[in-house]
Amino acid sequence: MDKNGKVFKKFTDRKELYKQQFSKENIEKQHSKGKLTARERIDLLFDSGTFEEIDSFVTSSDVKFGKTSKSYGDGVITGYGKISGRLAFVFSQDFTIMGGSLGTKHSSKIVKIQEMALKMGAPMIGLIDSGGARIQEGVASLAGYALIFSRNVRASGVIPQISVILGPAAGGAVYSPALTDFVFMTAKTSYMFVTGPDVVREVLNQEVTFEDLGGASVHSKKSGVADFVFEDEENTLLGVKRLLSYFPSNNLENAPYVETDDSADRIEERLRDVVPDDPNKSYDIKEVIKLIVDNGKFFEVSENYSQNIVICFARLNGHSIGIIANQPKFLAGTLDINSSRKAARFIRFCDAFNIPIVTLEDVPGFLPGIDQEHNGIITNGAKLLYAYADATVPKITVILRKAYGGAFCVMNCRHLGGDFNFAWPTAEIAVMGPDGAVAILYKKEIAESKDPVKLKKELVQKYRDEIANPYIAEERGYLDEVIDPAYTRIKLIRSLAALENKHVNTPQRKHGNVPL
Amino acid sequence: MAKKKETQNDLVSGKYIALTNKGKKYEFYISEDSAITYKNKILSISIDESEGFTFIEFGKNKYPVEIIDRNQNKYEVLINNVSYNFTVETPFSFKRKQLLTSQQPSSKTENIVAPLPGKILEIMAEEGVSVLEGDAVLILEAMKMQNEITSHVSGKVKKIFVKCGDTVMKDDPLMEIEK
Amino acid sequence: MSIKSLLIANRGEIAIRIISTAKKMGIKSYVIKTTKEPNETYLQMADEVIEFPAKHDEIPEFLDIESIILIAKKHKINAIHPGYGFLAENPYFAKRCEEQGIIFIGPSPDAIYKMGNKTIAKQIAGKHNIPLLKGSVESIKSFTEAERIAEKIGYPVILKAAAGVGGRGMRIVEKSSEMAKLFKLATSEAQKAFNDSSVFIEKYVRNPRHIEFQIFGDKHGNVIHLGERECSIQRKHQKLLEEAPSVAIDDTLRKKMGEEAVKIAKAVNYYSAGTVEFLLDSEKKYFFMEMNTRIQVEHPVTEMVTGLDLIEWQIRIANGEKLPLKQNEVKINGWSIECRINAEDVQSNFSPFLGTIKNISIPRSKNVRIDTGIREGTEITPYFDSMIAKLIVHGENRELAIETALNALQKFKIKGIKTTIPFCKAVLNNKAFRLGKLNTSFIENELKELYFQEPDEELMAALFVIYSHAKELKSETAAVLNYDKGKHLTPWVLNKRIKSL
Repeated sequence: MDKNGKVFKKFTDRKELYKQQFSKENIEKQHSKGKLTARERIDLLFDSGTFEEIDSFVTSSDVKFGKTSKSYGDGVITGYGKISGRLAFVFSQDFTIMGGSLGTKHSSKIVKIQEMALKMGAPMIGLIDSGGARIQEGVASLAGYALIFSRNVRASGVIPQISVILGPAAGGAVYSPALTDFVFMTAKTSYMFVTGPDVVREVLNQEVTFEDLGGASVHSKKSGVADFVFEDEENTLLGVKRLLSYFPSNNLENAPYVETDDSADRIEERLRDVVPDDPNKSYDIKEVIKLIVDNGKFFEVSENYSQNIVICFARLNGHSIGIIANQPKFLAGTLDINSSRKAARFIRFCDAFNIPIVTLEDVPGFLPGIDQEHNGIITNGAKLLYAYADATVPKITVILRKAYGGAFCVMNCRHLGGDFNFAWPTAEIAVMGPDGAVAILYKKEIAESKDPVKLKKELVQKYRDEIANPYIAEERGYLDEVIDPAYTRIKLIRSLAALENKHVNTPQRKHGNVPL
Repeated sequence: MAKKKETQNDLVSGKYIALTNKGKKYEFYISEDSAITYKNKILSISIDESEGFTFIEFGKNKYPVEIIDRNQNKYEVLINNVSYNFTVETPFSFKRKQLLTSQQPSSKTENIVAPLPGKILEIMAEEGVSVLEGDAVLILEAMKMQNEITSHVSGKVKKIFVKCGDTVMKDDPLMEIEK
Repeated sequence: MSIKSLLIANRGEIAIRIISTAKKMGIKSYVIKTTKEPNETYLQMADEVIEFPAKHDEIPEFLDIESIILIAKKHKINAIHPGYGFLAENPYFAKRCEEQGIIFIGPSPDAIYKMGNKTIAKQIAGKHNIPLLKGSVESIKSFTEAERIAEKIGYPVILKAAAGVGGRGMRIVEKSSEMAKLFKLATSEAQKAFNDSSVFIEKYVRNPRHIEFQIFGDKHGNVIHLGERECSIQRKHQKLLEEAPSVAIDDTLRKKMGEEAVKIAKAVNYYSAGTVEFLLDSEKKYFFMEMNTRIQVEHPVTEMVTGLDLIEWQIRIANGEKLPLKQNEVKINGWSIECRINAEDVQSNFSPFLGTIKNISIPRSKNVRIDTGIREGTEITPYFDSMIAKLIVHGENRELAIETALNALQKFKIKGIKTTIPFCKAVLNNKAFRLGKLNTSFIENELKELYFQEPDEELMAALFVIYSHAKELKSETAAVLNYDKGKHLTPWVLNKRIKSL
């Protein structure tokens, strides 16, 4: 082709037009809000030079009401590239073009990339920064959303799907993130709500700001909708990369392996001192996690939500694992509605993507109270039970201290399907704690005693020595072994190695009935 | 120009800003080959790890240094037993920070929190009464000692969350001051 | 030596200190293990560890007189050393030991009682013509009485709680118009803090030096002094830095004050170690304040300049031996400084810093002595006070001692907690300190910066943070992730996974 010929020039001119869409003013508009442009975000997320954009020239549909500006791309950039060396697909909404609103072409671009990701078995990342459905296109916009939702569900459990909210996500738009596996938000510049402050003001006469209704802080602390919140967009995107490193590309593969200099035979004596002698004293379970995993590094999910349970990704001997651990520092580590749900969803994700689950248990039971009972602690506790029992990935439990009552069963006991169950010598496995048990069983004797306080103390000690210890369970084979805390890492790594090829046949059925 | 820094590991290149609590900026640039530049000069430093301690060596000085707390990009570093707080920013995130603080008004109230766990011995403040930055507002008993808790802001005491005899954990809110 | 075994009713660095002398003397050392500190260093050093019997009451272990006596009796231990703090100045404990035939390493119960009560102590001092700060001998009942006495002795005056130590119940009154209000405040504070509203009044000396004399007596009536210590560097009446001798004391004054200290000790037939505290005003006039009837935290500085082992002396005295030296045989050589290192955050107003010691490197050299009860893994808890180590140096003169101290502080490395080391450095580098211009208001008046910062320190800190951050970022890149290993599945697994979908 003659380089100066008309045919080639038309091609290059069009490319120029496309570039001009992203004018300096446009870029400034985004930056002045403290936000990066759709393209800048992609460049940060993907390894440099690996991003291939598709459908850049898809143009907006015609409209019957109002006007639209013709734009190339229809307000969203879609494509694929390599994130930390691995193929991934992305859509990045562009707020500077028609407010990033979802029109028919915009949504069909997204659907196309979703289907591609599913076909290739690679992760799907959504960078959301949109004003919502495009009013001008009416019901077609809504249909567009529905298509996206259906692809989210089709891909759920097949490829990892991550939503990164980097601007507004209102109305129906929030459901796509809700359907995906993990939601990231950036502090102060991203919002998620079904009905915005304006409508809330009109209908309910309540005044509330964007930030207070659906800002990052609200969703990370109160609703739990946001799994991760970062201070700025760069760190948010880095967080996405970090999270991805723990996942396989699809549900047939294993997660990538990271060579570590942290020995698989490391004996950690400090673990012996972690659990305080006083059973009423709390400690930070994250310190325990740090001492066990490779190089003390772990990536916590939903850090600020329902802090009485800790869920995180980490590595043991290079292999990616999911950890669930009761946190004695908050609510004494009891299980409640929110923590049961938080852990249950995490288990389902790990199970879908072949990530082994390690449970560190120190739970005195479920949180009592009218509030919990009336709001369905029963159903939600059952969710956690279901998730554990249904999971077929390797499951290992280590009981650190308390394991009372129903909570003992729920936290992946052997009979529920735990593959290996260990306990530290400080473990107390019983139907209920010593004080409660003694009060019930010896009510008469204590009431009639001359020194009830002393008698109670003696009985509590007897209970601790004879019942609330791990040796009974060990003798019955309910525990595989009571271990020296210092050897926890070694035991976990060895068990996981043994469980590498684990397979369990599940009954043929469409799907079970999770107590949702 | 000093000699190139001996690094043990490679670093991700780019412009970095270390921002102190008071807003002082330290700007660095790390090149592709991990040389660190400050104020247009390549710094000759080395990080030395021996006997379980980390040392930073710069010129004639060698100081023990340790990151004692990290939360995403907020760091607390201990050097020579003195601690410094920094936030690590990129040029863009720094601009964003300035933009957002100028756009959103800072919150009207601040909480005074317990710096360590202990028992409330005495409360010297009263709801509705003003306090000045530095005033002692509460006595917390911990480690066999009575610790005076002072207010880090001036304003009116909006609400007191604790009473004498209460036991508190670290970071528990003690009282709210309206600025 | 009839003392063959010794129970140490204390913990931490002083327990270790006593153990080390006991070992030197071939005496079997026993210590007590509590549930609050089951893994402390002092437990590792003793010959035998006794577990404190299970508690059913609220009395802290080291204050439980009967249990401690029982332990000693059960194990047939000859003597008990109370250390400092806890029961060291409890006359009832000393008496119980006597009654039970256990040798108490300390003075007689009578001496402890008399000197323990500030009012009685002052009365005894007055009777022996030892200079006292003019003031009331008995406690004051009303503010008018306070006013009257204040007029007599001259303002400024200070109101002090009779039953207490430290700052509670203390008020400085500059003029008579303030007396009514401050008297009320002082008495109510004393009532709240010590359950005893009695206050007494005395002349207030502005910016005095705190000078104390180490005295030693034996059971045969001999008493000598071992020179003075300057303890003016104090914060809220807690000593932070001590030295021996004092810049302000020349040989003549030392002889005079020493004799006064010995006089007071003899007045109560004192034996064992004791410390007589004086205030020294700007005109080198001294006033007796109180006497401490125990071995003190800062005793090492006296040991460094005299070359003596004071714990050994205590044990020998308790054994009935005579004092090994006569007054004219005591020689003071060189200069010694002690820095108390506390687990406190100087930048947060000295608030206690809780945490676990991840690593520690203690400098050891000829003129540097570190007395400490901690090691790697020690957890700083809220149950006991925050002092973690004493850094004691010796030099031929004061300048050399200061240099040695600064060098040692730089070499003292601790990881995992914050300490007051930067504060000690700030004091030692301070101009007024180097000139010896000390008084008890030194910290408020002379220290511009409470903690010492090297120039460029903030830059180095920023540099380290950026370095760590950039390094951390690198560890999450492609180079590190091995996808192949994850994709390589055995046919067994792959087959089963596909089938189960």
